[in-house]
Amino acid sequence: MEMPKQAPCERKHNFDEVATGYTLEMALQESRRCIQCKKRNCVEGCPVNIQIPDFISRMQKNDLAGAARVLKKYTSLPGICGRVCPQESQCESKCTLNKKGVPVAIGRLERFLADWERSQGGAAIPDLTPSTGKKVAVVGSGPSGLTVAADLALLGHQVDMFEALHVAGGVLMYGIPEFRLPKAIVQGEVEYVKKLGVNLKLDYVIGINASMDELLESYDAIFLGTGAGLPWFLDIPGENFNNVYSANEFLTRCNLMKAYRYPEYATPIKMGRRVAVVGGGNVAMDSARCAVRLGAEKVMVIYRRSRAEMPARLEEMENAEEEGVEFHFLVAPSAMIGDGRKNVCGMECIRMELGEPDASGRRRPVPVKGSEYVVETDTVVVSLGTSPNPLIASTTPDLQVSKKGTIVVDENGKSSKARVWAGGDIISGGATVISAMGEARIAATAIHKYLVNIDQ
Amino acid sequence: MFEVVDHEKLTHKVHRLRISAPHVARKAQPGQFVILILDEKGERVPFTISDWDRQAGTVDFVFLEVGRTTERMARLQKGDTLAHFVGPLGKPAEIDKFGHVVCVVSGYGLAGMVPIIKRLKEKGNRITTIMQAADNESLYNQEALKQFSDHLLIGVGGAGGGPATALKPLEDMLKNLDHEPMDRITAMASICLMRFIAEATRNMGIKTTVHMAPVMVDGTGMCGACRLAHADGTQFACVHGPEFDAHKIKAWDTLMARRCTYADDSIMQPGFKCDNCSQW
Ligand SMILES: Cc1cc2nc3c(=O)[nH]c(=O)nc-3n(C[C@H](O)[C@H](O)[C@H](O)COP(=O)(O)OP(=O)(O)OC[C@H]3O[C@@H](n4cnc5c(N)ncnc54)[C@H](O)[C@@H]3O)c2cc1C
Ligand SMILES: Cc1cc2nc3c(=O)[nH]c(=O)nc-3n(C[C@H](O)[C@H](O)[C@H](O)COP(=O)(O)OP(=O)(O)OC[C@H]3O[C@@H](n4cnc5c(N)ncnc54)[C@H](O)[C@@H]3O)c2cc1C
Ligand code: SF4
Ligand code: FES
Repeated sequence: MEMPKQAPCERKHNFDEVATGYTLEMALQESRRCIQCKKRNCVEGCPVNIQIPDFISRMQKNDLAGAARVLKKYTSLPGICGRVCPQESQCESKCTLNKKGVPVAIGRLERFLADWERSQGGAAIPDLTPSTGKKVAVVGSGPSGLTVAADLALLGHQVDMFEALHVAGGVLMYGIPEFRLPKAIVQGEVEYVKKLGVNLKLDYVIGINASMDELLESYDAIFLGTGAGLPWFLDIPGENFNNVYSANEFLTRCNLMKAYRYPEYATPIKMGRRVAVVGGGNVAMDSARCAVRLGAEKVMVIYRRSRAEMPARLEEMENAEEEGVEFHFLVAPSAMIGDGRKNVCGMECIRMELGEPDASGRRRPVPVKGSEYVVETDTVVVSLGTSPNPLIASTTPDLQVSKKGTIVVDENGKSSKARVWAGGDIISGGATVISAMGEARIAATAIHKYLVNIDQ
Repeated sequence: MFEVVDHEKLTHKVHRLRISAPHVARKAQPGQFVILILDEKGERVPFTISDWDRQAGTVDFVFLEVGRTTERMARLQKGDTLAHFVGPLGKPAEIDKFGHVVCVVSGYGLAGMVPIIKRLKEKGNRITTIMQAADNESLYNQEALKQFSDHLLIGVGGAGGGPATALKPLEDMLKNLDHEPMDRITAMASICLMRFIAEATRNMGIKTTVHMAPVMVDGTGMCGACRLAHADGTQFACVHGPEFDAHKIKAWDTLMARRCTYADDSIMQPGFKCDNCSQW
């Protein structure tokens, strides 16, 4: 069943959530579509193996509290996963009903349950295991850090979570916009983790305020969930002109610092009327849709391959198109053009065609000679991707990292450094919330095993 | 929450704050900076650490009232609190035994450079400091600068007050290198002054470093707002700097324009002088 949404003409002018969520009736009705398969295809599609039919069966019996409890056993962040997971390529793509047409809307049910639980005063705090006296430092408070912190706190370990920024949540706070993932929901999940006894230390940068070795003096184990936040640039002439942003800066000003509510919030964001977003992923979609809401007259997404290769979720592309975002395929920027006062006023682009498949299996875009033309724009958002945050690796010589800058770990998330585990984008180089959570789960299990065995 | 332990007004528009932040004080090094946020709706604003006390757990910095956040900061009183305070960010200044070091300071550099000069002096360098200000009333921190410098030259701008007032003594010294060699120049000053210095020494084989202050957001290498074109590729001032080899910085005019992205309102600042910026 479709989820109600704000109409495009309306939502273009606000940052409120686009999809407003199922009503109770809708959720119960959708849950009844599930046929409770013996062979649980959907579970196979879930990176953290949520026992999907188990929570749906409780919904079918009208037992929402029970359903929420099942869900919480597998994911500590259901309100977030229900909103931002690419279910169409995970659980829902494997759902038996998908073969015949429309899969059960697993993500929407998950979201409904999380929101329902919140409306009931938040998740009940489960009984905590008696303290083990062991101490764990979690570095970074994105989805991976939050997951490890919650898992280990539930098992009775004392957890301190360190965050460099002034707010916990990682990309969930600074990257993904309010209209896709309300910040109150992220903070609700953070509060839950704090209620489990996790000590959150904001404004605290590991590698600066304390080195890894200093941390290891006071903690039995460390989990690194520091993410991939280092933005890539195009490396073309004029890229430092005014009003050329990395997606990270554009989104951080907008979402984390709430520039869309300037001057009530003190951080400004300077944006012109014609915004060009370079890139084709979810981050590009988020940037384009923020630009629409900030009042741009024209927003263009410039992508060097074709529609079929776009890594962004289909749903987000459709949302963007409904909101008036234009897509320019098979185009790559070659230079920024300045207005004489070092403000960008145009972008020279070259048309591309698809050649042989590259390492990723997608056909490689090759420039068409002599096809240069100028896109008129006064604001450019570069959204090409990010690399792992290098700070910890550069201050911890005995921590093995790959050429790409990711921390090298074994199948349990264990790094080359004694008593240090890692998970999330810092090991994958950039993936999804749910995969970060999955890796965090594995590391938490391994850390727990290590901690209970120390004394034996 | 971080408590304001002390607030001293140094001149008409210049203030010194002392903040209780033991985790920052413990690690502070000359040339590093902090980022503070006044309240939950505040902006992240960077300031150069001008002193610290590891025992007492306090960090000092000096700020100029120039705009929205700094005008609010001017009203902070002892006992008030800041919502957030993070640091020490950036790389420490390069300190070594160089020989004769000339330090050029203006604006908050009069305070931010002090820990650097102090350490350079401890390393056995001979220090000539050139301080510049628009007028005598705007000078501050003279005593501290004098204490650690072998020579202190003061360039007070007359009518124009532009960067040239500090450049004059420097140019005189550059003409006199045979008698008084110079091993290094380091500047923490307005971007236009630092640019003039970079040009003045470019072909003279004198290592020149500048302490850059581009617009920043996170200050931890995540946003790229602070990026600059550099001979070794794009660099982020908040993690690769803020101190850079002045002769490796490319496209100063773009940097100046970027620095002024949000300055539209503050062009009105009293004493705000910029002679060669592409913005005006
Ligand atoms: C704009 C955008 C949209 C996205 N949309 C989706 C989506 O729709 N669906 C989806 O599944 N995924 C999406 N992703 C990807 C997803 O958000 C990430 O894969 C996920 O957040 C990774 O989690 P993490 O815990 O590894 O790291 P992060 O969320 O990056 O968190 C890392 C945290 O560590 C902190 N940190 C870093 N270094 C230090 C240090 N030295 N000391 C202390 N703290 C430190 C950082 O400040 C940050 O808060 C999106 C990403 C972006 C940028
Ligand atoms: C590494 C570094 C160290 C600094 N050290 C000091 C210091 O020790 N003392 C001091 O007084 N100032 C220092 N500054 C400058 C200080 O951060 C700005 O004066 C301050 O941001 C102005 O904020 P405002 O809201 O009062 O001014 P406004 O003019 O209202 O600010 C408008 C916008 O411009 C940006 N901005 C304005 N001026 C600057 C500037 N000079 N540098 C960077 N961004 C700016 C702000 O981020 C803000 O978004 C430093 C800047 C950097 C990057
Ligand atoms: S595969 Fe689909 S129908 Fe079958 S149990 Fe899972 S959600 Fe229900
Ligand atoms: S301030 Fe964001 S990268 Fe330097």
